[in-house]
Amino acid sequence: MLSVTPDTAIAVPASVIAAGFSPVADESRAINGTVGDITVADPRMTARNVNVYYGDKLAINNVSLDIGKNEVVAMIGPSGCGKSTFLRCLNRMNDTIDICRVEGEIRLDEQDIYDSSLDVVPLRAQVGMVFQKPNPFPKSIYDNVAYGPRIHGLTSSKSELDDIVEESLLKAGLWDEVKDRLDETGTGLSGGQQQRLCIARTIAVAPEVILMDEPCSALDPIATARVEELIDELREQYTIAIVTHSMQQAARVSQRTAYFHLGELVEVGKTDDIFTNPRHRLTEDYITGRFG
Amino acid sequence: MNKMTDGHIVSSYNKDLNHLHQLVIQLKDLACKQVLEAAHSLIEEDVDVAKTVIVGDRDIDALDIKADEEIIRLIAKRQPVARDLREIMTVAKIVGDLERIGDQARRLAHLTIRFYDGDANPPNHHLLDDLIKMAGFVNLMVEDAVSAFDELDLELALDVIRRDGVVGDDFRSALRRLSTFIMEDSRSVGHMVDVVLGLRALERIGGHAKNISRYVVFLVKGKDVRHESLEQVEAEIARRQ
Amino acid sequence: MSKQEQIRTMDRVNATLKQRYGRERRFRRFGFFAVLLGLTFVGLMFLSIISKGYSAFQQTRILMDIEFTESIIDPAGEREYAVLSSANYAGLIKQSLRALYPEVKGRKEKRELYAIVSNGAPLVLREKVLADPALIGTRTQLWLPADDDIDMLIKGHIDRTVPESERRIKDNVVAWIEKLEADQKIEKFFNLTFLTGGDSREPELAGIGGAVMGSLYTLIITLLLSFPMGVAAAVYLEEFAPRNRWTDLVEVNINNLAAVPSIVFGLLGLAVFINFFGLPRSAPLVGGMVLTLMTLPTIIIASRAALKAVPPSIREAALGVGASKMQAVFHHVLPLSMPGMLTGTIIGMAQALGETAPLLMIGMVAFIVDIPGGAMDPATVLPVQIFLWADSPERAFMEKTSAAIMVLLGFLIVMNVLAVILRKRFERRW
Repeated sequence: MLSVTPDTAIAVPASVIAAGFSPVADESRAINGTVGDITVADPRMTARNVNVYYGDKLAINNVSLDIGKNEVVAMIGPSGCGKSTFLRCLNRMNDTIDICRVEGEIRLDEQDIYDSSLDVVPLRAQVGMVFQKPNPFPKSIYDNVAYGPRIHGLTSSKSELDDIVEESLLKAGLWDEVKDRLDETGTGLSGGQQQRLCIARTIAVAPEVILMDEPCSALDPIATARVEELIDELREQYTIAIVTHSMQQAARVSQRTAYFHLGELVEVGKTDDIFTNPRHRLTEDYITGRFG
Repeated sequence: MNKMTDGHIVSSYNKDLNHLHQLVIQLKDLACKQVLEAAHSLIEEDVDVAKTVIVGDRDIDALDIKADEEIIRLIAKRQPVARDLREIMTVAKIVGDLERIGDQARRLAHLTIRFYDGDANPPNHHLLDDLIKMAGFVNLMVEDAVSAFDELDLELALDVIRRDGVVGDDFRSALRRLSTFIMEDSRSVGHMVDVVLGLRALERIGGHAKNISRYVVFLVKGKDVRHESLEQVEAEIARRQ
Repeated sequence: MSKQEQIRTMDRVNATLKQRYGRERRFRRFGFFAVLLGLTFVGLMFLSIISKGYSAFQQTRILMDIEFTESIIDPAGEREYAVLSSANYAGLIKQSLRALYPEVKGRKEKRELYAIVSNGAPLVLREKVLADPALIGTRTQLWLPADDDIDMLIKGHIDRTVPESERRIKDNVVAWIEKLEADQKIEKFFNLTFLTGGDSREPELAGIGGAVMGSLYTLIITLLLSFPMGVAAAVYLEEFAPRNRWTDLVEVNINNLAAVPSIVFGLLGLAVFINFFGLPRSAPLVGGMVLTLMTLPTIIIASRAALKAVPPSIREAALGVGASKMQAVFHHVLPLSMPGMLTGTIIGMAQALGETAPLLMIGMVAFIVDIPGGAMDPATVLPVQIFLWADSPERAFMEKTSAAIMVLLGFLIVMNVLAVILRKRFERRW
């Protein structure tokens, strides 16, 4: 397992150094390993030594991370730090990019998802994804939610499908708002409703893990609060990994936070600790708004 | 400028935090001045100085309220995290302790008035020796505790915490000494009680200085050591991050 | 900045302001006149075509008493089809004309008299008799088409006031016509023949029916071939093909093909479809195949643009719930891009409808009287028909040319409007 590298989180005065402390002078040195414990007691997905290349460019460098059962893992970091890329590795959405190459090992409940024998279609049913921009299909609300169960043949009758649609919309906290207009087009909803519709669409295929790529970045604060509340509720049944640009959001919704920087996983730890007492200088600079 | 609060992309955030930091220093200066002047009024039997000390406590209260307002505003506006959050929380607590130091100084000043204002018998100066000696000692503790905060000097903070033990010992030996005075002359019991109360106030100031030092450990190390023993604090400071 | 400097800046801004607005006004005026000029030319074109062509939708007919004399039509009285169909109907007309103008005696004059009625008139009688043999032996009044010269005269294209030697119609003929006019036995009727008839050497009998059918068959072939192929090619290139040098090459070539002169496609069609595969000349099938070659790049380019316009978020959404690539494309991307594809296809079809050059190369320029009954029958198409008529010397063909252009433009406008409506109706903003 990865060792925890000692590091100076903050400026240490000369007297402390004199008293026998040995802070790391060169910050970059600590990058080769992740600060904090990447493992959890009850992992659902485990990523080990993952490298991702776009062509010749190394986008993700040696990232290892567990995503535990019924927890929300938030991934934060500056733009281009690889957090979205890593997220998209978890359900192989990167496969759609020709020049993208993934090394290392990612397991979903002991199954290597990059195994050549694994079919990506059922994987994506198990590991659902919610995107940055609400992207409902330009079809009816009902059809949006029913699409996944239909293509996977999850139901054998119309009433069964009706039940799944209702249950998914209920879980997504959207049922009361749309139950009278399931035939209306999904794109006619407000931004926040659209995003919850997308979440309903994702959970309609009963995934084990839900990946969220900046799900609230296009929403206003109230809609954001609704989605955050929903994420908190969904945690009881699903494992959730969320990429967000909002550190406050990471602090609000997640149990663990992972900080990415230049394609490396710098620090991971309990959200409570990361936001009060981060151990890596880079993490601290980023979350306190000092990032230069 | 202070390293703790610098380096934000938003420079007005730096400014706000620095302002808060300067308020603490200002408050410390004021509180120390009050303690020294209260002690001075006792030595010099100067009732007027004692009265200015009592009035001056209002300035400390006003500064305390101002600091609290700044803190609330900062939290609302900036949603501080990590070391900024710890800095702000530390400041909030230090300010509280400094305000109470001011209160203790006022108590000391009241002592002067009780002793020398009016025609009552002033106490024997020997009774006050311990008071004077201890006032200088705890005042230095407060100075050092705040400068440990200012410079994030954990060694200095640890030193202040150790000195609090000395204050406790001094307090107990002073009590013993005073009890011998009572045995000699039981008429001085009234003064004695007042002197003990003064000693108690100074002992409290030392306690506040110790608290401030412990906040500094929290500020630097991110671990709350307020209710831990000296050994535990030492271990925490020695622990590498 | 000091106050003085501020004032100076404002002065400078104000000094150039007038100039700047002036420039904008000039530019606007220039653009407005450019548009106006364009509209004027379009208006002139329509005006000229319509003014020349509208009269072709009318046909002059002469009211005649026809005696269906049995001795002329069916002397044997057996009503056999062969006899009835080859009977001397022209004789009936001549007989009627002679009765109308008893004063006409000389052979030459009689020939001139017989010529005022169209060569097609006997065919009208024949149709009637074949449809109802009971007519034989009766006497009926019938409106029979006049000759094209008479038609021109009635429509006023031939000036009666100029000297006899300078016009196509002699004075005595004019006198007969004036007598008919006085008796109200000559009238203009709606010219159904023009819309339904095939081509003819006689202008009054010529119609665009054959060309329209030819165009229709050609376009159906083009649509059937180019739409599925174009859409399939676009979907493959846009959604499935790997990005490498080969697909780049294909892409560049498709774009270049769209710019190749259409006659080149005609040559290709002649060489490959007719000479190599031995398909019949002048057939809409070959025409459609040639036009497919020509339209395909247009459709592929339009379809790819329509596919590109579908936001990637829709694909991701489908893939994200576990749809396969194929399902994502066919369930979501394709339906969303279909309006754009159809628009592109209609524009391509409109282009194909107006195309002449490549069809000349594959022999669709032949003189074909029969209306084609299928894609393998020899046929011509509307623009080629226009081209043929524009070449004919008769005055009456001039108005037919313009009228045919009107019909062609009508079709083109309808198709383009359809494309616009489709785009407006299904246009989606993301």
